[in-house]
Amino acid sequence: MKKVKSSILNIVLVLAGISAFAGVTLASVYTLTKDTIKDSQTSKIEEAVRAVLPPYDHVSLKPIELKNGVETTNVYKAYDKNNAMVGAAVESTSNNGYRGTIDIIVGFNTKGVIMNYAVIEQNETPGLGAQMESWFKTNIAHQDIQGKNAGTSNLNVSKDGGEIDGITGATISSRAFLFAVRNAYFAFTSNLDVQDQGTKVKVDSTQQKSSHL
Amino acid sequence: MKQSGVKVFLNGIFKENPVLVLFLGMCPTLATTSTALTGMSMGLATLFVLFASNVVISILKNLIPERITMTAYVMIISTFVTVAEMLIHAYYPAMYVSLGIFLPLIVVNCLILGRVQVFASKNSVFYSALDGLGMGLGFTFALTVLGTLRELLGTGKAFGNTVFPEHYGALIFVLAPGAFITLGYLIAVVNSAKLRKTEDIEDNID
Amino acid sequence: MPKLDLSTSPHVHSGDTVSSKMTGVLIALIPAYIAALYFFGLGALIISITAIGSCVLFEYLIQRFLLKGSLSILDGSAALTGILLAFNLPSNLPVWIVIVGSFVAIGVAKMSFGGLGNNPFNPALVARVFLLISFPAQMTSWPKPMPWNPAYLDAVTAATPLAILKGQFSEVPDTLNLFLGNMGGSLGEVSALALLLGLAYLLIRKIITWHIPISILLTVFVFTGILHIANPDAFIGTPVFHLLTGGLMLGAIFMATDYVTSPMTKPGMLIFGIGIGIITVVIRVFGSYPEGMSFAILILNGFTPLINKYIKPKRFGKVKRK
Repeated sequence: MKKVKSSILNIVLVLAGISAFAGVTLASVYTLTKDTIKDSQTSKIEEAVRAVLPPYDHVSLKPIELKNGVETTNVYKAYDKNNAMVGAAVESTSNNGYRGTIDIIVGFNTKGVIMNYAVIEQNETPGLGAQMESWFKTNIAHQDIQGKNAGTSNLNVSKDGGEIDGITGATISSRAFLFAVRNAYFAFTSNLDVQDQGTKVKVDSTQQKSSHL
Repeated sequence: MKQSGVKVFLNGIFKENPVLVLFLGMCPTLATTSTALTGMSMGLATLFVLFASNVVISILKNLIPERITMTAYVMIISTFVTVAEMLIHAYYPAMYVSLGIFLPLIVVNCLILGRVQVFASKNSVFYSALDGLGMGLGFTFALTVLGTLRELLGTGKAFGNTVFPEHYGALIFVLAPGAFITLGYLIAVVNSAKLRKTEDIEDNID
Repeated sequence: MPKLDLSTSPHVHSGDTVSSKMTGVLIALIPAYIAALYFFGLGALIISITAIGSCVLFEYLIQRFLLKGSLSILDGSAALTGILLAFNLPSNLPVWIVIVGSFVAIGVAKMSFGGLGNNPFNPALVARVFLLISFPAQMTSWPKPMPWNPAYLDAVTAATPLAILKGQFSEVPDTLNLFLGNMGGSLGEVSALALLLGLAYLLIRKIITWHIPISILLTVFVFTGILHIANPDAFIGTPVFHLLTGGLMLGAIFMATDYVTSPMTKPGMLIFGIGIGIITVVIRVFGSYPEGMSFAILILNGFTPLINKYIKPKRFGKVKRK
C-alpha cells in the first residue's frame, strides 16, 4: 500500500478521522469512569471524617462552612440514632506551614475532647514536618494531642509555653499544625448550636500572625 | 526487512532498554520512582500508551499524509494518555494522586514519540505491537528497579513491606537527589556489564 | 596509573608531596580538635575516631577489592576527609550515621569519580549534605556544649545561634562565647578562635593562600553588614554574628580551600570565595535552612571547572605586552 499524498483534502479527511476516533474513545471511557471518579472523590472526605470521630450513626456531610480571609473551616456534625450530636469533625487549614498550606481534619466529642485527627494535605519536609501525620497521635512524652480537651489544654508547642512537644527540628510545622487544631476547636465551639448549614462565622486569626517567624 | 519477533521484543527490555541504555523518558523516571509501586504504575501506564499507540499508528501509517504525521501521532498518543488517566483516576485513585502531573505528561515522554516515529511508522502491526510491549516492559522494569532501590534505601520498605526499621532509612533517596544518585549507579552497573562483555570479546581476538 | 599535570610548564618540584600537604592541614586542625574535645567531650572523640577509621577503611576496601588498583590510603587524604566530616557533625550523632556518612564521602563522592584529584565536589561536604537531607532530625539536634564533660548521647540539646535567628526561641550567646565556641553546633565549627589559629598556621606554612578564606569572610561581612544597616529589624544578625556562627569559619578555612575542588588561579579563587560568601548569606538570610555554607561551597565546587576555563593560569615567563 502506498502512502497517501499530502493534499489538502487528504489532510482534512485524515485529521477528521483521527479526531472522530479520539472523540469516540474519550467519550466512551469518560462515561464509563465518570461515576466511579465522583464516588472516589467524596469518599476521601467521608473516610477522614469517619476516622477521626467517635462511633456515630449518621453525619451531615454538607459542611458548615466558615470563612475568615483565606482560611476556610468546614464543620461536619455527627449524630447517633436519636439524632443527638456525638461530636463533630472539623476540617481546618493553616497557611503557616514550612512549605505552604496544611490541611487537617480534627474530630471532637461533644465536650471538646480531641478524638483523633487526619492530615488531608501537607507539603512539609519529609522526615521533619511531614511526621505530623503520626507524630501528634503517638503516645510518647507530651506529643499526643488525642484525649486532650481543646478547651482547657494549652495547645501550643512547649517551646512557646504550651503543653505539646513539637516535632524535633520542625518547630514551624508544629506551630502551624497546632494553630490549625486550635482553629478547628474555635470553629467547633462557635457552632455547637448552629443547626442550619452555610452559616458564616468569624474565626480567630490573632494566633496566626504571631506564629509567623 | 526480515526480523525475528523475539529479538524485537527482547531488544527493548535489555539491549536497548529505554531508561538504562537509550536514556529516554528521564523525567518520569526521576520523578515517579520514589516508591516501587509508583514507579511500576508509571511504567505500566506508559506501557499501555506505548503499546496502543504503536499498534494504531502502524495500522494507520500509510493513511497518514507526510505533512501531518506529527500532528496525527500526537493526537493518537494523547488520546491514549487521556484514556489511561481517566481509568487510573476511576479505579486507582490513590495512584492518580501520587503520580499527579506526570500521568498527563506521558504524552510528552520522548520514549513514546520516539518509538512511534522510529519503529511503528515503518513496521508491520505485529512487530510494532512487540516493540511496544518490549520497550514498555523495559521501561517498567527499569522504573520498578529504581523505585524499589529508592524505597528500600530511603524508608526501609519494599513495595510497602518493611524490610528494616524506617528509622534507618536515608531520606535523600526518596527525594530528588536520591533519584539521580540511584539512577547513576544503576547506569554504571549496566555500563560496566557491557564493558566487560566487549573486553571479553577483545581478549578473545588477541 | 597515567597522570596528567594540569598546570602549565615548566614543572619544578618544590619538595611538596600530597602527604606533606595533608599532614600540614591535619596539624592546622589540631586547635579546632582540642576545642571540640573541650566542649563536647567523649562525643567528639567517638565521632572523630569513627569517621577517620571508617573513611580510611572504606578507601582501602574499595581500592583493594573493587578497583584492584594501587593503594593510596597512606597519603592521608582519606584521614583528612574523615576528620573534616567529623568536624561537620553534631557530637551526639549515632555512630552508624557517621559510618554511612564516611561511606558516602569516600565511596560516592570520591572513589566513584576516580579517587583523589578527580572528585568534583568536596567529599566531606557531600557526605554532610547527604546526612543532613537523609537524617534531618538527628543532624539538627545539637548538644549543648559542656566544657570538660564526658557525657555523650544524653547531652542536653541546644539550638545553634543561626537556628535561633530562624525563629527558635532561645537566647543567643554573647560575642565572646561565640568567638570562643561556647554554643551549639558541629564538632569543629564552634570555636572561631581555634579555627583562626589553624588559618594562621596554614598561611605561615604557605599551604594555602589567603585568597579563598579572606574573600569568603569579607563577602559575608560586607553583605550581612549592608543588610543589617539597611533594615536591622528584618535582618537581626550583625556581620560579626554571622562571621562567628555556623560553619562559616570552618568552611572558609578548611573546606573551600581543598586543592582538588577549588580554582587554580588567584583571580579564580577570589571569584570562588565571593560566590561562596554571597550564596551562604542568601541561604542564611532568605532560605529555609539556617546554615548555607556547605551548600554554597558545593555549588561553587560545581563552578570550579568553568572558572578554571575562563581564568587561565599565566604561562611561565610570559611578558605583559605594552
